Order: sequence, then C-alpha cells, then structure tokens
Amino acid sequence: MNGQNESEVQFEPKIIGFLCNWCSYAGADKAGLAQIVYPPNVRVIKFMCSGRIDPEFVLQSYRKGADGVLILGCHFGDCHYKEGNFRATQRHQILLKLLQQHGIEEARCRFDYVSAGEGEKFAQVVTEMTDAIRKLGPLSREPKLT
Amino acid sequence: MRIGVYFCTCGTNISDKVDPEQVQVGAMTVPSVAYFKKCEYLCSEEGKSFLQHDLETEKPDRVVVTACSPREYESTFRDCLAAAGINPYLMQMVNLREQVAWVTADGKAATEKAISYIRAAAARVSHQAPLQEKEIEINPSVLVIGAGPAGLKAANALAAAGRKVVLVEKTPVLGGMPVRYEDLFPNLECAPCMLEPILAEVVQDKEIEILTLSEVIDVTGYCGNFIIKIRQTPRYIVASKCIACGECVGPCPASTINHVNYGLNQKKAMAFAIAGGLPNLPYLDFDACVRSRGEDCKLCQSACPVEGAVNFDDCEQILERNVGAIIVAVGSTLYDCSSFPALGYGKSPEVYTSLEFERILSASGPTGGKVLKRDGSSPKTVAIVHCVGSLDKAHKPYCSGVCCQYAFKFNQLIKHKVPEANVYHLHRELVTPGKEECALFARATESPNARFIRYKSLADIKVESHDGATAVNYTDAAGKSGIITADMVVLCPAVVPAEASGELANMLETAVDNFGFFEELHGRADSAQSKIKGIYLAGTCQSPKDIEASMGQGMAAAGHVLSQLAAGKKLKIEPITAHVDELACSGCEICRVVCPYKAIGFDGGEEVSVVNALLCHGCGTCVAACPSGAMEGHHFSREQIFAEIEGVLQ
Repeated sequence: MNGQNESEVQFEPKIIGFLCNWCSYAGADKAGLAQIVYPPNVRVIKFMCSGRIDPEFVLQSYRKGADGVLILGCHFGDCHYKEGNFRATQRHQILLKLLQQHGIEEARCRFDYVSAGEGEKFAQVVTEMTDAIRKLGPLSREPKLT
Repeated sequence: MRIGVYFCTCGTNISDKVDPEQVQVGAMTVPSVAYFKKCEYLCSEEGKSFLQHDLETEKPDRVVVTACSPREYESTFRDCLAAAGINPYLMQMVNLREQVAWVTADGKAATEKAISYIRAAAARVSHQAPLQEKEIEINPSVLVIGAGPAGLKAANALAAAGRKVVLVEKTPVLGGMPVRYEDLFPNLECAPCMLEPILAEVVQDKEIEILTLSEVIDVTGYCGNFIIKIRQTPRYIVASKCIACGECVGPCPASTINHVNYGLNQKKAMAFAIAGGLPNLPYLDFDACVRSRGEDCKLCQSACPVEGAVNFDDCEQILERNVGAIIVAVGSTLYDCSSFPALGYGKSPEVYTSLEFERILSASGPTGGKVLKRDGSSPKTVAIVHCVGSLDKAHKPYCSGVCCQYAFKFNQLIKHKVPEANVYHLHRELVTPGKEECALFARATESPNARFIRYKSLADIKVESHDGATAVNYTDAAGKSGIITADMVVLCPAVVPAEASGELANMLETAVDNFGFFEELHGRADSAQSKIKGIYLAGTCQSPKDIEASMGQGMAAAGHVLSQLAAGKKLKIEPITAHVDELACSGCEICRVVCPYKAIGFDGGEEVSVVNALLCHGCGTCVAACPSGAMEGHHFSREQIFAEIEGVLQ
C-alpha cells in the first residue's frame, strides 16, 4: 500500500449508469467530445429508451455488486419515444419506496435528466453521484428490514 | 462460443489512455474470447476492409468492437459483419473513446474500465441473437385528408412525383380557409389568386382523385397498407354534365343559413358554396331543400339547360380506397367566443369573430366586400380585440401566431375601405415574426387613425350594447380606464383544433396533444410526422400557423411520404422491436396502455397481446411494464441486459 494506511485508501464505488440512447448517452458522448474529465466509477449500459429500464435491472445491479445506480433519461417533452422518460420516472418513484423498505438509501438510486447537449451536466451528475456513494460507503448486502 | 475482439486505437486517441496490451491480457481472461486484434483506424477504408476479411477468415460466433461511440459507427461495423456473412446483430460495441479515454484522468483506471466494458460486451453478445430486417410490399398511393393550403400542396407535390392521391374534402369546395379571405397578410395579396395556380393543377391532375363533400369514416391497416372507408354525401349535381351556368340557383324557393358566411346571411338550398370555388359546381343542401319535406319541387332541374345534370336520385356513397400513407391536413377552427360573455359575442349584434370579419371584407361575402354594419351603415370606429383566449392560462396558454398579423391586415383594409374610420387595437402582446410581417404592423402604427391599448387581462374588457351603440369599457395595463364607442367590434380568438380532430385521431390511432392538436413525432425535428408510421401531419391541425408554414409543412409531409414509401421499394421493418411470448401472456393489456405508438393489438380469441412489428419503434417501454415477463425486446432482452450488468460488475 506504499505506506498508506488501509483506512486512508479511498473507497471506490461501483456505479451502474442506465442511459437512454437519444439524449443521455448522447450527452455522455458530448462530455467525451468536450474531453471533460469525470470519475471513472460509472459503468454505462445503453438502452434505446429510459422507458425500457426495468426496476429488475436496478435490483440485479445491487445483487451483482453495484453500490449505486444512476438512471438518466431525456428531459420531459424531449423523449424520442414521446413518454418513455415519464414511465421511467414513475417506476423510479415506486422503486425508491421499495428500496427504502430494504434499507437501501435513496441516493444509491438517482434519476436525472441529461439531454444530448448537456455534456457538462452528465459529468457533473456522475461526479456528484460518485461523491455521494463514496460518503455512503459500500452497499451492504446483508438482508435488512427497517 | 468464439468471440473475436477488435480493438481500435483511433490513432492514439484511445491508446493514449487505455493500454492495449493490458486490455488484451484482461480480455483474453474472458473464457469465450477467442482472439484479440488491434487496428489503428477501424473506421477507415483500410480498417473496414481488414475487419471484413479478418471476419471471413476467423469466422467468429460473436464480435466485440471496441472503438468510439456506437452512435457514430455501429451501422458501419454492422455493414462489415454483413459483408463478411455474419449477422450484423451479433456484434456489440464498446465506447472506449468518448466514454473512457477522453474522460478519464488516470490511465490505469481507464484501462480497468475498458476491460470491464469488454467483459460486459462479451457476456451480452453471447446472448445476442441474429435478427433479420424484414421487408413488406407497399402501396404507393396516398390519402390526403383536407384540401386547404397544406393538403393541396402535399397532393400537388405527390401527384407531380407520379403518386396516386385520394384527396378527401369535407366541404363542397377545395382551398380551405383562404378561399374565404379577400386579401392575405403580410402583403395583401389576393387570396383566391394565391391559390389559383395550385388549385388549377390539382383539379386537372389525373393522378388526384378529388372527393368533395366527403369524410373518412374508417381506417384499418398500417404503414404501407391502409384500407380507408370514405363517406361521400350527395351533391345532386352530375359533375360530368354540369356547365356551372348557375341557372338552377335562381328559381330555388328554399333558403337556409349560409355557413360559409358564418350565418351572416342566407343562401339558397341549391347554390354555389362560394363564388369561384373549385370544383365549379353548385350543390344542393338537401336538408334545406323543400324536397326533404316531401314536396315534389323540380324548379332547379327545370331551369337547368343540360339534361340530367341535376340528379335527385344521387345518394350517399361509401367508397373504399387502399393507400400506403395518410396525410392529415384537416385544419383548425377558432376558440368559441361565447366562453367570454363579457365580450358580448352572440349578444351584441356588432361583435364579430375574425373569420366573420374576413367574410365581410370579401367580395364574395355577405356585404360584397363593403365594411358595413348589420343596418347597412359604415362604421366610424372599429375595435379589434387581440389575444381572445390566446396567451391566457385560463383558456389557451399558447400564442396563436397569426392574429396580430391579420388584425393589422384588417387595419389596412378598413383604412382603405372606410378612410375616416378609427381603429382601436386592444392587445395583450404584439407578435409579428418573419421577414415581411413587420410591414403591416408598421403601417398600422404609422396610421393616424389607429390607436393601441395594451390590456393585462381579458377580464379588464367589457363590451356592452345599448340602443344600437356598442361600448367597449376597458382598463389598460397601466390601470387607466376608458370607454370606446365602437360601431363594430372584431374579436381575434385563439386558433384551436377542428371539432372533428379528436374523432379522426381516434380513428387513425394517432395521438393528440394537451390542446387537442394532432401530435407530431418531434416538435422541432419531425413536426410533419405523427407518432404513427405512415401517418403524416400538415397545416394547422398540428399547431396554429400561417399559410406559408402550412404550405411548407404540406411539402414536408409529401417529402416524408416520398422518402419513406419509395415507389417500387419494399418497406424495411426494423428488427429491434418488442415481441410477445403468447404462452406467458396473461392478456392484461398493460403493454397496450403504455405503448406510445398503438403498435400492440389484442387477439380476442387467444386473449393475448400481439405486436405489430411495423408500428413498433423498439423503445421497450412495454417490455419493462409487462408483469408476466411475456413481452420481450429484440436486442434488449432481459437475458442480454442481465449478462451485461453481471459482466461489467465482475
């Protein structure tokens, strides 16, 4: 550890990012084109629409080792498929209640809107999410009932 | 399973941050990865050629390409797979340039991230199945509903490109609203003259079947193959025989409200809908005809110099037509002014809507184009109330975009026809977009007879009439009150969807927006397409707009038809769609509720949902909504996504 105390080693969270193809994934590409550096913790999985994001995928991410899940869709009114992002926000709201019952903090499942032009916002959301999960620490996979 | 990984360094764009050697070591630890090859520019001609030939030699079961964003080059590399005889959907791309190399500070972290993405891609692609692009035959004919500026422009353009067009118009004449206007903003061009060239072409074009007095009553099928039922009400005039001499009109003993003039006068039961309207044929309003009451009146027929041109045996017909595409151009109407009792419409005789005033200005209108009050005298003062229901949260929050401009046109025409008259503009905002539209505004502001009063809310305006005089009481935006003694009051109501829009939208299964306008696929990028493939939108049925924009959108809709339903070509069906496992489907129909494209039907016999792949856009919203796991998305299946999640987190 090169002399570092083990407790000083920063916890690096694993975050899954579910992104829609038309706005958010394009926004992430935009951050790339602008070469905006952000933490490497988010692993992106692309969907055609945030409406495809089944809450099951979020739960599976936690089961397989993710400490947080970031869901990004188009802004309201911009959805390439009209209203998929609206369905996604509805599902996210319900999912948050479920996660709460299992003791999983709300911050571990963030929903936000990133348009194709918002490269900076994408980098900012990823940075904020990474910082938030760093503070929370690793997700405990011990069954909890609150 | 043999997976081949192709790593593009993108010059040094990727390899500067992501170490290809370490990535290779990492990738080769994935059991199904058979080989790892590096290339400098995979998207170059050389790179593509290398990829194709290498795929032909290696014959991998699946392919992972790590390069730039799939949004840029996925289709290019899919083509390479296809050229090498591998199904293009057996490839997964990893975005190492935009989403790793260019955004990660630390090379080690970037390399680790790249390896995890390759693991995920390898895991996912193992579950990917070959998909086939299907093709269906299309019918190149087009139905255009509505023969106003937008519909005419679309029909004309399509016919010029050799397409057969069925042009369905509800009223007896073509031309839509402009045939009712005398002059047009912004340059006071004669409205019928503006329409004349296009009307002449449409009427004479053998590719266009014109069905006036007709309405679409049923639509089945889908993009490329629609079956349309049309109800045509009888005209009682045989078009091939009528010489449009008008001899039949004079002797007609029955009168009825003239709807073209918004009830400002009466017309005969046998009449021309509008002077000079095309097709140049009279029509018999049977409900007004004394024959509808059982009388055996034949005065019109007796007066007609052509044997058999007036045909009392004409009857309603139900016609069936097959088309590949539909253009909706049914126009709009004005917001009901009776929603504003304080403005006096319907109570004070000298309060008019803008459309009624257009008819008063028109030579073919009730006053022959003279600006006259109902008692036949000329007005000394005209008050024009702008924004009646527009820019008003309690009514219609949007700006209708055309009212200010026709109000300034009215200003100019009143000044021309009654030079001594004063015109008051009571407005909330003034909007004159466009390069020419400022001219009429400038002339109104420079006119000594015009006054502008800005109000805050319509509630600050009250129109009262006593003993034949009409008083407009107002409080302006500064809080100052006043009274205008007006001889005529013209209201400029918000533009709203035509009454039958909702019914037609249901029939077409297209969506309407919050205001009831036909909803476009995308407000900026695709306003001439509906959300349903094969159904296009043009004119004010989609949003309030002027004639210029309507004609432009009509042309755009025609362009969409020509590019998407190319004659002689088959229609490609995208393979990334949803599909139903009938055995698992419980028939709850939740999928049908969430589908934005009405792409899911229901088999009542089997009680299962059925996806129409032609209408499906592949968003996957239904897949996520299905409580039985019966709905699945091609190329975005549960299995594939689970594999990707597991792979990336390993």
